Amino acid sequence: MKAGKFALLYPTVSFAGLLFVLGAMWYAASSQNNPAVYLVLFGLTAVFLVSIPHTLLNLADVTIAPESAKPAFAGEEVSLPVEIMNCSRTTRRGIELVLPGSRGERKHVDYIPAGKAARVTLRFPARQRGEHRVGTFRLTSIYPLGFVRVLKRFASSQTYLVYPKPSGDPRLPVHRARSPHSRPQTELGEGDDFAGVRAYVPGESQRHIDWRAVARGQPLMTKQFAAEAEGSVHLDFSALRFHGVEERLSQLALWVIEAERVRRPYSLRLPNTDIAPAIGEAHFHRCLSALSLSQVGERA
Amino acid sequence: MSMSMSMSKSRSMKRTQPWRDTAIPRRPPAALLFTLPPMFGNLANWVPFLFLLALAMKFWMEPKGYRLRSTILKLILAVVTLGAIFFSYGTLKGIEPAVSLLAVLVSLKILEAHTAREFQVVVMMAWVLCLCGFLLSQDLAIAVCLFVAFALLIAALVQFHRGSSPGPFWLPLATTFKLLAQAAPVVVLLFLLFPRINTGFQFRIGDLHAARTGFSDRLSPGGIAALGNSTDIAFRAEFPDRRTGPVGPMYWRGLVMWHCEGMEWRAPYGPASISDSSNGYPASDKAVRQRITIAPHGARWMFALDRPFGIPSGARLARGNYLYSVQLIRKTRRYEVLSSTEPVGKELDAYERREALQLPASISPAVRELAASLAAHDSGPRATVNSALQFFRTQGFRYSLSPGEYNKNDLAEFLFHRRTGFCEHYAASFATLMRLAGIPARVVLGYLGGEYNDLGGFFLVRQSDTHAWCEVWIPENGWTRVDPTSVVAPGRASQDLSSFLAGRVASGEIITGRNAFLTRLVRLALVSQIRSTWEALNYQWDTRVLGFDADVQDVLLTSLGLTNSGPLPLVMQVLIVIAALLIIYAGWMQLRTRPRADRIQALYEGFCQKLARIGVSRDPWEGPSDFATRAAKSLPNESERVRQITETYVALRYAPGSDVSSLHKFAKEVNAFTTHR
Repeated sequence: MKAGKFALLYPTVSFAGLLFVLGAMWYAASSQNNPAVYLVLFGLTAVFLVSIPHTLLNLADVTIAPESAKPAFAGEEVSLPVEIMNCSRTTRRGIELVLPGSRGERKHVDYIPAGKAARVTLRFPARQRGEHRVGTFRLTSIYPLGFVRVLKRFASSQTYLVYPKPSGDPRLPVHRARSPHSRPQTELGEGDDFAGVRAYVPGESQRHIDWRAVARGQPLMTKQFAAEAEGSVHLDFSALRFHGVEERLSQLALWVIEAERVRRPYSLRLPNTDIAPAIGEAHFHRCLSALSLSQVGERA
Repeated sequence: MSMSMSMSKSRSMKRTQPWRDTAIPRRPPAALLFTLPPMFGNLANWVPFLFLLALAMKFWMEPKGYRLRSTILKLILAVVTLGAIFFSYGTLKGIEPAVSLLAVLVSLKILEAHTAREFQVVVMMAWVLCLCGFLLSQDLAIAVCLFVAFALLIAALVQFHRGSSPGPFWLPLATTFKLLAQAAPVVVLLFLLFPRINTGFQFRIGDLHAARTGFSDRLSPGGIAALGNSTDIAFRAEFPDRRTGPVGPMYWRGLVMWHCEGMEWRAPYGPASISDSSNGYPASDKAVRQRITIAPHGARWMFALDRPFGIPSGARLARGNYLYSVQLIRKTRRYEVLSSTEPVGKELDAYERREALQLPASISPAVRELAASLAAHDSGPRATVNSALQFFRTQGFRYSLSPGEYNKNDLAEFLFHRRTGFCEHYAASFATLMRLAGIPARVVLGYLGGEYNDLGGFFLVRQSDTHAWCEVWIPENGWTRVDPTSVVAPGRASQDLSSFLAGRVASGEIITGRNAFLTRLVRLALVSQIRSTWEALNYQWDTRVLGFDADVQDVLLTSLGLTNSGPLPLVMQVLIVIAALLIIYAGWMQLRTRPRADRIQALYEGFCQKLARIGVSRDPWEGPSDFATRAAKSLPNESERVRQITETYVALRYAPGSDVSSLHKFAKEVNAFTTHR
């Protein structure tokens, strides 16, 4: 990734302490006219000065490559994996990656050997649904002495998606008109017969996670229970009766998750989007993206 | 490109905790151990022990996770130690109480320190403590200790910022060494050229610090013998005009005692300035130039070969022809002085004659009789001096470092009964006898001999070389040196005391337990080699570093022609040079660490840029062959060459056995590729 033209260099808080110490030393040396004390003063000054190029070059030929962030639901955490690459011929130490837009989330890497890379995951809260820009990454380092900080900015045009926060009534809508013979299922997916497990879908209730499997070190799985298969669910934005746009989107998001969980095909209809009934991860994310990017709120 | 890294999730979670490596917080205390030596002996005894206790506590507490938390306890401890300091010194002003206070605060801070910020604070306080060590003592040994402490503190900081990087323990030390090595030229530059501005408001040096060393202005029996075991350095002397010293024994003139009280002699209280050397300078070939580096002794006398006639700045020539500093010598001081081996001064004025014949009333008749018998022949002062020396030579006098106790009225006891004495006994009794015989006489206190240091090319004179001798007035010669000790112990004058004693020990003449062991040790070749190297280093430290004060710097700056423009331009020049140095360092480090250019890749990228300029840019995911196909399609004129270059590139990159000639061919092809629209 392209870095800013210059690495910035600025003093840290402990530099103020150093200045105070140097001032005290200078006072002692000059009032005593004591060459040995001058030697300590100049020694500390010189070591500090020499540490500046060390700090400045500590980020030379270090670059970052953000990977794509997995979409997250609003109110949850976005995790953004970033690879920090050290292309130089020496080990780089004490590197910190900061994303200023995200409550100053910072990650510290103790060292990266020459020609190797380190992978860190920045985590920050997803606040609002929609597509957000990652913003500018800051790579900083105060190694070796900690009196000055070098800063390299990496502007990124990368974006991440935040899905609406799923909330509302977990019961899937029932379409009496279309299937009059079917009995309304109030507790879909809550049937008695265990029907196996499948991969956990982010956002869905944690009640059905197979915790015993997790304890065995297996990935998160959701237990499925056999329930009476119904026809496909039609999720329609305009059919919802409450007023708030965000509330409606949240309800739809919850239903998408629920429908996916119980393996019922579902279709989604938004004012300017229509997604045909289907099932599966791709469809799931397509629906949630549509909800996330929906412009209804602004227009209505 | 991703690989396994030190950044496991668990470790990144630990970031919020203060230490990522439990060994780290124990490093500053370890470094602080080296700031202890100057505290012993210079501060109230309990201060270094409390400090040591705090360091030990830290080592014990840290692995257990204990620390000083309670604010009330901290306050109580601070108040108690403050009270103890006040109680020990009777004041809170001055260097010693201030350093004690700082040491106590640092020990409390160490016990309390817990977070990264506090870690930095401790390190910076420790640096100040290093400086305080120099305020207390400027010995080379102390300097070495403080340097080690200084370097270890840097290493502790480096280690702290490295975090939990693997690798041997010495890696942070190597980084520290690199930093120090790069800092060295900057230090030299700053030390030599950075203006030493005197702020004027001095804080007073406590009395403890101004303690006198060496002899005093009173010569009492046993006074010099007490210095006989002291290996403290009195001064060092270089002879800039010749490699070694003058021929014959070196008598270093210290001060002249005029006032006689029998066995005890005293210097005048306020030596009046006289112009003893007004008789004209001796011929320059008789003059011996010396460069003397004097160790601080808290008094005013300065030393020079017998006898000085050129007066260094800040000094006067006192009555009796010795150098007398205008200010107390509390710091290492360096001066140049000329001495003449010829007697100077041919006339004795009435005042001096009266002073040089003064005698106490309490002289026993037996001594008066002896003096009269010595002068009986009436064949002039020279004969009297010789018969007195003859008396010492033949009457069974013995030379001893421990002659027993004498009172100031014990002249008769010494001359007729015990007849055992050290140089001060002989000088005092001889001069008294001369005065009794009517010859003006005085006692000179100074040093005799010196140990030549091969490495440094200087003579080292220790307190144990202290010596007293006499001067008598012989009308045709002026003041003439007579050393009665040389008659009793002929070897003493030709060598310094320690080797003289060593010789005597070897021949079984003197056996004194501890001293004998030491002198035997000194005789081992290796030990003496190490000792002389150390002395040479010590000399360099004292002259090059401690001697380089504001005045010497002024001389240097003037000789370099840098004083004309004032301090500010000089500071600017120094800063510019330092900045240039830092840029050189940065460039050098950058050159050493930047990735090695891949020539094939660079050439190919140049080729791609050329194509991009005419509208065909390669997408990041596009392979060379795909790109070549696309480029050839959109640039039919160039298709052949594009295909050719790409083929060469692919062959160089992926085919085995590509050689230098094909690289040259590739370079030629790319360079020849010009784009015409």
